[in-house]
Amino acid sequence: MRLRRTRLYIPGNNPHYVESAGLYGADAVILDLEDSVPLDQKFDARILVKYSLQNVDMGRSEKWVRINGVDTPFWEKDLKEVLPFCDVINLPKVESAADLNRVDDVMGAIEEEHGIEKRPVVPIIETIRGLMRAEEIAAHPRVVALAWGGEDLTADLGIPRGKALILDHVRGHIVLAAKAHGKQALDTVYSNVSDMEGLFEYARRARYMGFDGIGVIHPNQVEVVHRAFRPTDEEIEEARRIVQAAEEAEREGKAVVSLNGRMIDRPVVERARKILRYAEVE
Amino acid sequence: MMAEAGKREKGDVYVRIEDAEGREIVVSSKLMILYGDAIRRTVEEMTSHLNNVRVVVEDFGALDFVIRARLEAALRKYGGEGE
Repeated sequence: MRLRRTRLYIPGNNPHYVESAGLYGADAVILDLEDSVPLDQKFDARILVKYSLQNVDMGRSEKWVRINGVDTPFWEKDLKEVLPFCDVINLPKVESAADLNRVDDVMGAIEEEHGIEKRPVVPIIETIRGLMRAEEIAAHPRVVALAWGGEDLTADLGIPRGKALILDHVRGHIVLAAKAHGKQALDTVYSNVSDMEGLFEYARRARYMGFDGIGVIHPNQVEVVHRAFRPTDEEIEEARRIVQAAEEAEREGKAVVSLNGRMIDRPVVERARKILRYAEVE
Repeated sequence: MMAEAGKREKGDVYVRIEDAEGREIVVSSKLMILYGDAIRRTVEEMTSHLNNVRVVVEDFGALDFVIRARLEAALRKYGGEGE
C-alpha cells in the first residue's frame, strides 16, 4: 500500500509555489483548484495545473489535484482538463455514494477517451450529512482513502473549531469507516505553521488514532510529520521479532506462530509488517 | 474583443490578447536580455494562427510552461470559452 503520511497543499494558480512543490519529499502533492483559487481565476488555474502536471518534476510525490465540489459548476471542467495527467483526484464536500457515482461516470468517460488507467479518488468529508454516510463513501470502488475537513462540520454544529470536543468522535468515525473497507484514513491539517512541537504531537496523536497521514500546508511541516509517523524504536524491535518468528514458522511449516512461548495471531503479524513498512521508508 | 490571463506576480506572466489591425506582439520581461527572444518565439508559435490581434505579454520570471499555460488560457478566452 502506498504511504500517504503527508499531502502538501499547493494553490493551483500560483506558479511560484507549484514549481517547487516536488522538492520537499511529501508523499503527495495536491495542486488545489478549490478553496485557494478565487472564482475569477478558476479558468486560468485549471490550465496552469494541467501544464504543471506535465512539466514540473514532482520527485517521489504522488500527484493529486483537488477539484471543485459537485455542488459547483466547475468540477467537470476541472476533470476534463487535469485527469489524464494526475495520479489521484481529491474530491471535496462529498456527502454520499451518489456524489461519487456522478464523478465516477465523468471520470470513466475521460479515461476511456484518453485510454488511461482508472484514477483513484480521495473524498473529503466536510459535513454532517457526509459523516453519516462515511461508510458508503469509503466502500466506493474508486476510493483509496478517506479524508475529512472540520470547518463546515463545526459551522453546521455552531461550535468554535478549537473547542469542538465532538471532533474526536468525528475522527474516530472517519477512521472506522475507512478501515471497515480496507481504505486509508487521512486526518486534516495542523494550521499553526510555526509550532513544530504542536505539529509533532498532533501528527503522533493522529497516528495512534488510526490515521495513515495528515494534510500539510507548509513544506517545513513534511519532515516533522514523517518523523511523527515513524514507529518508535521499541515498536520496530518488537515488530522485527514478530515478523522473524512468523517467517520461521512458515519455513518450518507450522500453522501457529509463537514468540517467547506466546501465540501470535495473524493480525498481529500483519500489524508488525505494516510497522516495518513505515520504518523502512526513511 | 479582449481576453486576459495570468497575474503580474513573481514567477507568473500577464497575457492580454485584443483585436487590432494587423498583427503585433509586445513582450516585456524582467529578464528581457536573457529570455526576451525565447518568450517571443513561444508567443509567435502559439498565436501564429491569429492575424488581426495585439498580444501583450508582461513576464515576471515565468518558466516556459507557465507562459504556455497563460497563453492557452488567454487564447481560449479570446475564442469565446469561459466559465
